[in-house]
Amino acid sequence: MPDLAIIAAGLGDAFSPVNLSMAFAGVVLGQFVGAVPGIGPVIVMAIAVPFTFTFEPLAAIAFLVGISKGGNVGGAIPAVLINAPGTPDAAATALDGYPMARAGKPLKAMKLALYSSVSGDTFSDILLITVSAPLALVALRMGPVEVVCLMIFALSIITGLVGDSLGKGVAAAAFGLLCAMVGLDPEHASPRLEFGHFELDNGLSLPGVAISMLVTSEIIYQLATRSATAAAVPLPATRGDDDARLSRAEFWRCRFTLLRGGAIGATIGAVPGIGSSAAAFLSYASAKHASRKRRAKPGAAHEPPLPDFGKGNPHGIAATESANSAVVGANLIPLLTLGLPGNVGAALIISALLIQGIQPGPLLFAEQGRLIYGLFGLMLAANAANLIVGQFGMRLWVLVVRAPASVIFASSLLLCFVGVYSATGDIFGIKVMLLFSFIGVFMRFFGFSVVAFIIAFILGPRFELSLSQALTITNRDPMALLAHPVGIAFLLLALAAVYVFGFRRHAAQS
Amino acid sequence: MKTSLKTFIAALALFALGAGNAAAQWKPDGPIRLLIGFGAGGSTDTIGRIIAKRVQENTGWKVIAENKPGAGGVAMSRLLVQAKPDGRTIGMAVTEAIAINLVQRGDKLNFKVDSFDYIGTVGVAAVGLLAAADAPFDDIAGMIAHAKKTGNLTVGFNGKGPELITRALANVGGAPIRPVPTKSGGEVIQNLLGGHIDAGYAAGPQVKYIKNGDIKLIAPLTRDRHSYSPGTKTLVEQGFDFAIEPYFYLAAPKGLPRKARKALVREIGRVIDSGEVAEVIRNSMNTDIKNLGPKGTLDQMKRSLRSNDALLQAAK
Repeated sequence: MPDLAIIAAGLGDAFSPVNLSMAFAGVVLGQFVGAVPGIGPVIVMAIAVPFTFTFEPLAAIAFLVGISKGGNVGGAIPAVLINAPGTPDAAATALDGYPMARAGKPLKAMKLALYSSVSGDTFSDILLITVSAPLALVALRMGPVEVVCLMIFALSIITGLVGDSLGKGVAAAAFGLLCAMVGLDPEHASPRLEFGHFELDNGLSLPGVAISMLVTSEIIYQLATRSATAAAVPLPATRGDDDARLSRAEFWRCRFTLLRGGAIGATIGAVPGIGSSAAAFLSYASAKHASRKRRAKPGAAHEPPLPDFGKGNPHGIAATESANSAVVGANLIPLLTLGLPGNVGAALIISALLIQGIQPGPLLFAEQGRLIYGLFGLMLAANAANLIVGQFGMRLWVLVVRAPASVIFASSLLLCFVGVYSATGDIFGIKVMLLFSFIGVFMRFFGFSVVAFIIAFILGPRFELSLSQALTITNRDPMALLAHPVGIAFLLLALAAVYVFGFRRHAAQS
Repeated sequence: MKTSLKTFIAALALFALGAGNAAAQWKPDGPIRLLIGFGAGGSTDTIGRIIAKRVQENTGWKVIAENKPGAGGVAMSRLLVQAKPDGRTIGMAVTEAIAINLVQRGDKLNFKVDSFDYIGTVGVAAVGLLAAADAPFDDIAGMIAHAKKTGNLTVGFNGKGPELITRALANVGGAPIRPVPTKSGGEVIQNLLGGHIDAGYAAGPQVKYIKNGDIKLIAPLTRDRHSYSPGTKTLVEQGFDFAIEPYFYLAAPKGLPRKARKALVREIGRVIDSGEVAEVIRNSMNTDIKNLGPKGTLDQMKRSLRSNDALLQAAK
C-alpha cells in the first residue's frame, strides 16, 4: 500500500507553478505540431529530450508527457478538417470525422474528438494510477505467441472494416506487409527488397510512408478532384447552433462507446508494441458492431436516427479518439513498471528519465514514489490543459481552413516535405515519400484502403518479429499452441471477425 | 532560449579572455555536424546529443547532432567517409556493430577500419548473458547441460554479435540452443520475467533486476567482469573464447588537419571527462566512462574485427 504522505507530496510537486506551466507548454506545443500535417509530436520530443537534462526531473517528464498528450489531440484536427490525419493514430478518426465536417459541422466533430480523447486519456490514466502493478503482471504473461495471435486478430478486423470490400482490404493490407518487409530481416539481418539501396537497411521510413499515404496522397487526390480556389473546407456561410455546440445529451449518448474505447485502448496500450492506430480501429469495429445490435433492439426507435458509420456517426469519432488516447496513459504501464517502451514517444520519455538517473522498472515505485505520484498528478493536469487549449485551438484551425484550398494544401505539402526530411534526416526519405504519394493516389482512385495499408505497414515489423520469436519458442510444433489458451482465443476471434466483416457483410450488400 | 543564451555567454567569455585554448587555435568555418549512427531516443543518441550540446557550450562552435540510423551505424559511416575531412563532420557509432559488418560484407562497403581518424570512446556497454533468477543453471556449462536435457533452450538477443555467440555456444556445446530475435535488451528482460525464453542478453537494463533478485547474470560477454556482479566469471574465463565489447566511439573522415584533430580530440575528451557525460552513461547504461583516445580506439576497432572474424567461424 503506497504511503499517503508520499502521494500527497507528489501531488504537491505536481501542482507547483513551474511544473504546471511545463505541462501546459508541452500541451500547447504538442497540439500545434500534432495538428500541422507532416510534423509529428515524436520528432519534437526527440529534439526536446537533451534539453530536459537541465530541468528538474518532474518538469522534464511533464513537458514530454504534455507534448505526447497534446499531439494525440492535435492529430485529430486535420483528420476531421481535411481528411489528412496529422498522425497515423488519427487515421480512424477521419472515417466519421471528415464526413461530419463536410456536412457543415466541423466544430462539433472536433469538440467530440477533443472530449472523447480527454475522456479516454483520463480513463487510462486512472487505470495507470490505480492498478498499474497488477496490469503489468498480466502484460508480462503476453509472450510472443499471444502477441502474434492478437495481431492476427487486429489485422483481420481492420482489413474487413475499411474500404468497399474485404478483398480490396486484404490486398491493401498484404501490400502493406510486403512494404514492411523491405530492409534487413529481423532474424538473420539479411537485406531484402533493397535493390542495392543500403538506405533501406532499416526499412522504408515510417514517417515517409505514413505521411505520404495519409496526407500528401489525400491532398493530391483532393486537388485533382476539386476546384483549388474554393475554401479548403466548404462551410455553409451561416452555420446554426448545431455546429457550435455539442450538447450534454449528445455526448452522454456516447458513454458506452467511450468506456469501451477506453478499455480497448488501455488493454492494447499495456502490451508493448501494438500501438494506438490498431486500438483505434478495434474500438471503431466494436462501436459499429454495438450500434447494429442497438438498432435491432425494440424500443431504440424513440432516439433520433444517427448517420451511418462512415458518414459522420458521432460514435465513430468517440470510439476512435477515446481508444487512441487511452493507449497513451496505458503505454506508461510497461514503461514505468518494466522499463519497456510501447512506442517511440514512450522510448523518448524513457531516455529522458534515464539521463536524469531514474531507471524505470520494478523498483521505481518504491524508490521514486514521490516523483511517480507527481507525474500522475501532472498527467491529469495535462488532460485538463488539453481541454482548455483545444477549445481555443479548434476555433483557430476552423478559421485557417477557410482559406482557399490552393493555399492550405500547398503549405501542407511543404510542411510534409520538411517533416519527412527532419524525421528521416535524409533526401532519400523524400524520395520514398514521393513514390508512396503516387501509390497512395492510385490506391484512392481504385478504392483500395490506404488505411488498411498503413496499419499493416506499421504492425508488419513487429508482427514478423513476434512470429519468428513464436516459431523458435514453440520449436515449430503446432501442438505447442495448446499451452497458450489466450493465443487460441485471439485466433478464434479473428475467424469470427472474418466471418462478420467479410462474408456476412458481403451477403448483406448483395 | 536558455541554451543559446548560455552559448552566447560562453562565446563572449572566450572572446573576452582571448582564451589560449583550442578554440582560439582552430575554429571550424561553419557548424560542425555530429552524425549519430542510431535513431532518436536510444543510448547512443542521448550520449551524442549531450556531447554536442556541451562542446558547443564550452567552445562556442556550433555543433548540430543529426540522426543517421541504419544497419547499426553502417549507414552513418558510409556518409561520414564521404564527408570532407575538415573537422566539420564527425560521427558516432558502436565498435562491434561496425566490425561485424566489415567482417561480413566488407567488400560491399565503401569504408575500412583505417578510413577514419578516431577521436575517442565514451565507454563500453556492459553486455551480459542473463537468465531468470529461478533458472536451473548458473553458468554456461550448466546452461548447455540444461539445453541437452530439455531439447530446446531459447536465448533472446538483439544485434548480430550476441546471435553469433548463441550459435557458437550451441556448436561448441553440441546442444539445441536457439537464438530468438528481439528489439532490445528491455524486451529480453520482459520475456525472461514472463518465462517466455530461457536466457538472453542485455547491456545495462539488467542491473536493477539483478540487484532486485529477479534476474541473474550467467556470464559477462566483455573481457572484464561487471562491477555490479564481480563474482560472475566472464565468458572467456568460463572457457569459451568469445567476447563482445561494444564501445561507443567518435570518429572523423581520414585526413583531418593536425590542428583540427587536436582541437576535436581535446574538446570532445574534455566533455567526456566532465561529470555530466559520466552521469548520463552511468544512469542510462550502468557503465563508466572509458576514453581510449585516438590510438586506443583504432586498436580496439582492430581487436574487434579479429574477434568478430573468429566468432563468425565458430558460429558456422
